[in-house]
Amino acid sequence: MKIQRILSAALTSAIILSIAGCGGNTANTTTTAASSGGNDTAAATTAAAGTTTAASADSTNSGEKLTLTVLTHRTDRLANGGDGSLEEMTKAFETANNCTVKYQGFTDYAGDVSTMMSTSEYGDVLMIPDTVKLSDLSNYFEPLGSYDDLKEKYNWADQKMYDGVVYGISHRGSVSGGICYNKKVWADAGITTLPVTTDEFIADLKLIRDNTDAIPYYTNFAAADWTLSQWSSLVMSASGKSSYNNDILINAEDLFVPGGAYYEVFKLMYSVFADSTLIEEDPMTSDWEGCKAAINSGKIGTMVMGSWAVSQFAEAGDHPENIGYMPAPFSVNGQQYAQSASDYAMGVNKNRSSEIKELGKKYITWFVEESGFAKKEGAIPTLKGSDMPDYLEAFSNCIFFTEDTAPDGLVGVWNEIDNDSQVGIWAGDAANFKIQIAEAALAGNDFSAIEKIYADCNSRWNATRDANATYTAYKAG
Amino acid sequence: MASHGKVQKRDFFDWLHGYTGQKYTTTLLFLLIPIILMILFTIIPAANMFIFSFQERDQFGVNPEWVGLDNYKTIFTDSSYLSTFRNSLYYLAGSFAQQAIALFIAVILCSRIKFANVFKGVIFFPYMMNGVAVSLIFRRFFQKGDGITNTEGTLNSIIQMFGGDPVKWLSNPDIVNWCLVFASIWRYIGFDIIMYIGAIQSISPDIYEAADLDGANAWQRFRYIIFPSIRPIVALQLILAIKGAVSVFEIPYIITGGKVGTSTFVIKTIDTAFTYQHVGLASAMAVVLLAIILVVTGIQKAFFREDK
Repeated sequence: MKIQRILSAALTSAIILSIAGCGGNTANTTTTAASSGGNDTAAATTAAAGTTTAASADSTNSGEKLTLTVLTHRTDRLANGGDGSLEEMTKAFETANNCTVKYQGFTDYAGDVSTMMSTSEYGDVLMIPDTVKLSDLSNYFEPLGSYDDLKEKYNWADQKMYDGVVYGISHRGSVSGGICYNKKVWADAGITTLPVTTDEFIADLKLIRDNTDAIPYYTNFAAADWTLSQWSSLVMSASGKSSYNNDILINAEDLFVPGGAYYEVFKLMYSVFADSTLIEEDPMTSDWEGCKAAINSGKIGTMVMGSWAVSQFAEAGDHPENIGYMPAPFSVNGQQYAQSASDYAMGVNKNRSSEIKELGKKYITWFVEESGFAKKEGAIPTLKGSDMPDYLEAFSNCIFFTEDTAPDGLVGVWNEIDNDSQVGIWAGDAANFKIQIAEAALAGNDFSAIEKIYADCNSRWNATRDANATYTAYKAG
Repeated sequence: MASHGKVQKRDFFDWLHGYTGQKYTTTLLFLLIPIILMILFTIIPAANMFIFSFQERDQFGVNPEWVGLDNYKTIFTDSSYLSTFRNSLYYLAGSFAQQAIALFIAVILCSRIKFANVFKGVIFFPYMMNGVAVSLIFRRFFQKGDGITNTEGTLNSIIQMFGGDPVKWLSNPDIVNWCLVFASIWRYIGFDIIMYIGAIQSISPDIYEAADLDGANAWQRFRYIIFPSIRPIVALQLILAIKGAVSVFEIPYIITGGKVGTSTFVIKTIDTAFTYQHVGLASAMAVVLLAIILVVTGIQKAFFREDK
């Protein structure tokens, strides 16, 4: 009896307290949303507003102005929470086509839009999330043309291509393998020529350590789930071969072999991370937002980042002129290479009226050919033959190349193997090889620990590859 | 026949308008909304998860494939899945300390001290806070500054005030898990204390009086009166601690992201589902976790029945 009474008393108090707890939580979240998350709330309001206008435009007669809803990850360029330059730029398109363009921004673009895509409500024009498999593109997106027609005109036309049909056109591209650096810090350290080998790169970091007060290299390890994958973007440039990944796949080679690009790039990462005098004090509590201003002001020397980061670093302080971008410090027979790659590709939602779909296609054409967005962002424009941005001067001696498409019959297989084996070349889960390598380096383990990680990845990769049905069919046929 | 039906009908309406009828309709109507909500948001998703666990599917669910028990085989044969339970041992060890401290504080708060209610409120407060907020607070608390992008965190600032050297709390694999356990104890201990206070206060004051007359000191009172009376609650708390330890998630996920060897089974499940898009395999992992918790609950139920 007593126990029952105690229990019921405990339960009642727990229930009452949990109700109180709920109340407290709700109040908490609302206030934070209102005070700090101005971005999100604003985005949510726009989203709601966007949908209602779209609906009303559909219901009125078709002579009215059409409304095109565009989903974008560039919240920093929207009027709500950003500088509004995207809306400003779009006015030209709106006047020319007598329509209204509504942008919906998402701070966690890939996550949010992937979830939205399980319904048919995912905007009219959107950046295609990379979670959509190439073979599923036709279930979600309107065909935009054949690859043979578009490849002459556009860079990266094959990025969202399946069976020769293109479903998405890249909105801009970038040099994918590169390193952001502070020109003044590097000059103050006494460095006159940029490194072309890994040994020179490490030697230069040591010069920065000895001759300046700056942190030579900032790891951003606290945000390792995406910052370490920036190193993966050096691999193709380091290999200097547009068919590097395809060759590994077709010839059934190991991913990590001494001298190979994967092996050497992450060996360089290990060498930098393992020397605690070259990196920040405590990588675990590094701060991505804070480091932008620090590299701008010359407190940080170097970071491996995609070229998309250049404009962010330049805008973060008073010295945009000091932010430079250099090619990956690898050379093949004395020649440096740089891979260029596509950012998100834009596609048109196939569950829309033909009118909206036509307008969506027009919008994409206008965006990549006339808007001037890519150049303004310091990116490589999609339309072939356009002007390149200035900051790529350090790449003047490099040979640019684009990664080859996978051969017919192996399209998408690379990513399937990457996901199924959980090697995750671009992933950032806690058990990922990049995080393991960084942890081993930070803990002061020697390189044999890294070779064990390499061997484990190789065996998982190879086992998954040999079990992959599409791959075995390709090899057999 | 017709008249018979009429009579029956009237009987039913009479019953409906009578005391029992109204009691049943009211109960049903009140229950309807919670039951619908529970089916919609708990039962259906859980059933789906169970079905998914026998499939190979990505997060869009396009063309799922039936693979039978393959997902479960993977979990129990590939050591990288079950090995994440190793970190649960830290939290389990921490929860023993947590119970001891909670019991100690509860006993103190039940004796005649001033402002006992104020202390109860203050100690219980962390439990009402959002887990994400607690994690963010502790990320800042354990921060090691570099003077360039960020400053020293609370703990290191205090250490420096007394002339000590700052410590890399979250980078050192030997101590990071204990730091996370500390955050976890800080957050959940308030609930344990309230449970113990509830149990202690239900002990009859007559027993204390008798003990006072016999000249028992504070320790003897705890050892021979309080502890035996609240033993079932202690057992309940320990079992809840096991459940908590196997399903740790938000504190390591937010403070360290599962890096430096702080990953847990739930973090591994999230990575499997959303980084590698193996929703089928991740559902199987969730089912395994559910099974473990059901087993522990079963043990708990059996334990209490025996005690009665």
